[in-house]
Amino acid sequence: MDDLLAEFIAETREMLEASSGEIVAWEADPADRARLDTIFRFVHTVKGNCGFFDFPRLAALSHAAEDALADCRAGRRDPDPQMVSAVLAIIDRIAQMVDAIEAGEDISNADPDGGDQALIDAVNVSRETSGEDGASAVKQGSSPRLHAPASALIESVEEAATPARRADPASQRTIRLPVELLDRVMSGVSDMVLARNDLAHRLRQAGNQPTIDGPFERLTTILSDVRDAITRMRMQRIETLFSAMPRLVRDLSAELGKQVMVDLDGGDVELDREMIETIRDPLTHIIRNAIDHGIEPPSARLANGKREIGLLAIAARQSGNTIAIVISDDGHGLDEDRIAAKAIATGLITAAERSAMSRDKILNLIFEPGFSTAEVVSNVSGRGVGLDVVRQNLEKVGGSIKVSSQPGHGTLFTLQIPLTLSIIAGLTVEVSGQRFAIPQSYVEEIVQASTTALDLSHMGETALITFRGNRVPSLMLADVLGLDTSADAARDPTLVMLRLASGDLFALAVDGIHNHGDLVVKPLAPAVMKSGLYAGSTLLDDGQPVLLLDVANIAAAHDLVSDGRARVLQPVADEAAKPAHALPRAMLFTDCNGRRSAVRLELVQRIETAPVSAIDCSGPRPRVVIDGLILPLIDLPDTAVPAPGNTGRVRLLRLSDGACELLVAVQQVEDAVELAGPLIPVPDDPLAEAVTLVDGQPVTLIDAHELFARFGEPPVAAGRPQCSLPADDWARTILAPLVTSAGYEIVPPESADPHTIAIVFDEVFEAAEALGRGLTGPVIRLRDRPEATAGSDTIYRYDRDALLSALTSAARFAHRPGGRA
Amino acid sequence: MTNQLLVIVQIAGRRCALSALDVKSVIEIGTVTPIPRAPAHIAGITALRSQALTVIDCRLALGLVQHAWPTDVRAAVVAEGGHAYALKVDQIEDITTAIGEPGQVPGGFGAQWSRVATGMIETLTGPALLIDLSALIAGPDALRHEAEAA
Repeated sequence: MDDLLAEFIAETREMLEASSGEIVAWEADPADRARLDTIFRFVHTVKGNCGFFDFPRLAALSHAAEDALADCRAGRRDPDPQMVSAVLAIIDRIAQMVDAIEAGEDISNADPDGGDQALIDAVNVSRETSGEDGASAVKQGSSPRLHAPASALIESVEEAATPARRADPASQRTIRLPVELLDRVMSGVSDMVLARNDLAHRLRQAGNQPTIDGPFERLTTILSDVRDAITRMRMQRIETLFSAMPRLVRDLSAELGKQVMVDLDGGDVELDREMIETIRDPLTHIIRNAIDHGIEPPSARLANGKREIGLLAIAARQSGNTIAIVISDDGHGLDEDRIAAKAIATGLITAAERSAMSRDKILNLIFEPGFSTAEVVSNVSGRGVGLDVVRQNLEKVGGSIKVSSQPGHGTLFTLQIPLTLSIIAGLTVEVSGQRFAIPQSYVEEIVQASTTALDLSHMGETALITFRGNRVPSLMLADVLGLDTSADAARDPTLVMLRLASGDLFALAVDGIHNHGDLVVKPLAPAVMKSGLYAGSTLLDDGQPVLLLDVANIAAAHDLVSDGRARVLQPVADEAAKPAHALPRAMLFTDCNGRRSAVRLELVQRIETAPVSAIDCSGPRPRVVIDGLILPLIDLPDTAVPAPGNTGRVRLLRLSDGACELLVAVQQVEDAVELAGPLIPVPDDPLAEAVTLVDGQPVTLIDAHELFARFGEPPVAAGRPQCSLPADDWARTILAPLVTSAGYEIVPPESADPHTIAIVFDEVFEAAEALGRGLTGPVIRLRDRPEATAGSDTIYRYDRDALLSALTSAARFAHRPGGRA
Repeated sequence: MTNQLLVIVQIAGRRCALSALDVKSVIEIGTVTPIPRAPAHIAGITALRSQALTVIDCRLALGLVQHAWPTDVRAAVVAEGGHAYALKVDQIEDITTAIGEPGQVPGGFGAQWSRVATGMIETLTGPALLIDLSALIAGPDALRHEAEAA
């Protein structure tokens, strides 16, 4: 019946929308037969449909309108304005009633304000009498609250009807679909993505084909849009999970003789369907715990001055890519001392450690394996599978859980879970010719080094590497998987440093890294999951399936996960180890005189490599052009003095004090180091701030203040020197590229200014001189023959070196202020 | 159920029957990615469009040595417990109709065969052993585990 009603409402709405245009048109020309027929069909259908349902008011209204319209159609009546208004008012009233029916309001009772009857009268009255009566009856009968007066309709039925409609916040149009169909669409889209990738591969092989590439790009964009939309389709409101909670709470509280009220919030938060299933058990477990252990019996609550009904609040919130679910109760809270005592008794911590731990840390001990504070194991909770399992299950999907509690006031569990578990960022690695994927969230760093550099050593069966001064256990992935290792790979492995949720670090040696990207993870068959090595499978872009490694499980299987005790203690140790202040860091380098020096790291903008030809030594201080800026250069080695033909390069440290920049020429840049040793001032060297020890070697720390005071100057944008060329093909095709690559801008001769270097052929130059129209700027004269003519300052046009040095000197000449004088 | 449709396959030289309703499709098997440390009868995973199939070698699933028989390039795709599997067999023969209900034979089929077989079934093309998919996919170790549990 509900379905029928919904259909009736939908149909009526649709017709209203479709006929609204007709109504306005009919209104303008009441004689229009086609419009009249449309409106007649509408009221007729409404009347017919009302027969199925018990809507006497709707039936009466539509019947009256139908009668009037039927008369018009039969020619018994002329549709005068009064009648049109009356009919329109009825249609408007029908629209409002349909809204009311949809909202579930009872409209079957008698006409509350007589408005309906007035409308019906208006239609009928105007049948007999004409003139003002009909319209006035309409106005009289119109209740301003329920519908707009017909006179308003004359202006625009649509506009009048719309504001009268209820603005239903949940009126987003929805349809129900079987999940199976969704899955089919999803896998269809995944197939399309794979087909696209395959096509992309083939297109690349076939080369560039503009006619295909354009549409293909469009296809790619559309496909990724569709994929996003489909991913959203997988989302389900967490309501589906919440809806079972009140019943669960009711049953549990009845069983335990407690009174609990449940308050659910954030049911509209959306979550991947599979994720909802994953968190169902953990959530249920926590709720059981809360009712069983958290909320006191009514008598105890009353004795503590609380309401006898306990409150359990479950709220879901989305923030970015994670969902936080908070479960709070107003029970007696967690007992810090009892938890601590229990932890000491079970050997999780020692009494000495306990005194060093914060309340928060002690409370979170309840997630440790084998921990349960309930003294009496009840029917509901505390059967050995405790909160440690909850945490394990959440960590498996990349989530986390923590607890906080106010003694006597309640407990608050916070679950953090990722939005989706089907798409994760992953790293593809290769070992023994086979590829595997690792979830990116575990990957801390990738280290590529020889075994000697990593100081690989075997302690019994365990391999250890030294990483940043710490000994870190290392697993060979090939050994873990029982694959053959090639000797090459074993000697020169790539190490993926993995950080577990517990904070433990270990290295996984693989043969190589492929790439990283979003992986669509699919579940594996149970027999494969049983091996404990894999978390799922995924398809690479080329359609090849790869296995996703279950990092947490692999680490656990090799005893790399510290037990609860270490896990608890580690943060304490970390806090103690954290130095009071961060050490200053410096860039270590060897300067051009072979002296090891350092400069504070904050100053270093970049390490530049510049060709020697970019150095200009003409001024009192050498300068370098880098990125179109002229910067002062310090410490230039003699070997790098620019000379024609010196094609060497120099390493430069680009320092900046924020406003000005300068460059320091260095022999070799070593590394960034921490300045841990004491800084000993050097009074007799103004450019040295101090001398310190780095790795037992003395290092001069450069005094940045003195450096910038002496040499610093704001960078000047270097206009590229301009050059004009002879206007012939040889100059355009052969000379121009050479000049451009030497750093000159080629300008047409007519826009040349006095600083423009003109390259001309000697004949042209001589002709110009002869005519008294000599060139004003610097001039380079070219000759066609290798042999120089005595007395003329010309360069053979294929003498590259001479040409370049002429350009350099001409440019310097042109740029020097007053150089022309 | 007398006219149940069956897919007849050869497993280790024996004629076996799979319910045609269980067989989703027959595919030509492409590259199989081996799964290190997985049970021996799991040959690996392969991609069917965007789906990953677990490839089961039926001969090994019966605890038999696999290389004694030829292998069909085609594999039967079946769904069991929400996961899709591709079954590697000697040969996929035909689809036929069952006559009668599966029955037992005196003396049984042998330990491994009895584990995976529902019984003997007469078909239009002769008798065949009706296979229980979940037992087949569980692999040869299932029998040992059962024995241990008992």
